[in-house]
Amino acid sequence: MKQLTESAPGSSCMDTLQLAGKIIMENGGETYRAEETINRMGAGFGLEQVDSFAVPSGLFVSYRSGDGEPVTSVRRVRREGRNLTRVDEVNRVSRLVAAGKLDGREALAQLKEIECHPGSFAGMWCLPAAFLCAAGFTLLFGGSLLSIAIAGAVAAFVQLMETGLSRFRTRGLAASILGGLLTALLPLLLSMALPALETELVIAGAVMPLVPGLAMTNAVQDTMRGDMVSGISHGVQAILTAFLIAGGALLAVEIMHLLTGGAA
Amino acid sequence: MTLSEQILRGVLGAFFGTVGFAMLVHTPKRAWFVSGLIASLSYMVYWLMTYLGLPDPMAIFIGSLFGSLAGLLCARLMKIIGTVFLMSAVVPVVPGLGLYRMMAALGQGQIAAGAKTGIQAMITVAMIALGLGAGAFADRVLWSRSRKHRTP
Repeated sequence: MKQLTESAPGSSCMDTLQLAGKIIMENGGETYRAEETINRMGAGFGLEQVDSFAVPSGLFVSYRSGDGEPVTSVRRVRREGRNLTRVDEVNRVSRLVAAGKLDGREALAQLKEIECHPGSFAGMWCLPAAFLCAAGFTLLFGGSLLSIAIAGAVAAFVQLMETGLSRFRTRGLAASILGGLLTALLPLLLSMALPALETELVIAGAVMPLVPGLAMTNAVQDTMRGDMVSGISHGVQAILTAFLIAGGALLAVEIMHLLTGGAA
Repeated sequence: MTLSEQILRGVLGAFFGTVGFAMLVHTPKRAWFVSGLIASLSYMVYWLMTYLGLPDPMAIFIGSLFGSLAGLLCARLMKIIGTVFLMSAVVPVVPGLGLYRMMAALGQGQIAAGAKTGIQAMITVAMIALGLGAGAFADRVLWSRSRKHRTP
């Protein structure tokens, strides 16, 4: 089985294992997956007593080196985005390493490439994606053609705002409040000019791209594997995000009350 | 709305809505179509259960359970991480409208109505989580002896 040597500068086993775990956790993967991937890759490299412990904000990896000395490292993890293509690619690399089909250096090189992978699309393609998502769910909720189009346009606009905010590193909770506010406020304002607009359905559809579906799924997955810390953390994140979006919508309703004097 | 229109809206809406959502979280391109398909099927299972007269929470549980099992099976067959398909299975039943209605009612000072809608939304979320969890548990039991299809 091919092994990664500790002597090669900048390409130690630890670098490879940590990078694999970091990519998974920073891009929306579950913590149990990060731990399993590290353990499997470590075994694939021929390391002994490989162990890993991941929490939503950090990663601990340890193993015994060739001379029997324990090697341990800690890495801070910041959940930055949602890119499941990167998580899937790390999964692919770990399979190849476990099967002995991938050299340690090749694995590290591939992981570095994956770290910069743009995902399933790059640039402003997130706008049509948001449009499709909101329009599809408005259709599902029973909206008219006008409502479907408006919901899609609102969602695309909110996505554009979120993309803009991400450049200032203010994504996350602040973006959830602002997203909820705009998603509710724009249809409420438009309904004054377009009485045929089904405001409630438009808001319900346009809010769908913001819902924390990934965090909710991860919470269940981690809890089912017995990882309560990560399960609770993801669960709280999902609930908090949902309430902030709803809080933003509440703010929009209040603004409309002020603007219309309580008529809307 | 006629029955055929309800079905058509359910199938197409869940499919395209979920494909859009899957694109937003950058799922692998080869998973997009299957994600939409799983979402459509699990939503139609939910719809069928409500059509047959089952209470909404029970229908959501059964729909999520079906989606969870179908998603994990597809993940093994396509060697794609399960999260991609599990997420797709539950997105169409996430109570976005319920949360908005809760906030709208609270904003208008209708505390009781807001609390009622909020509790209903919370029950929906709990049923989704229960369905996903039950599906994941069943999957582990069914595949625990098989190493061939194991997904890391």
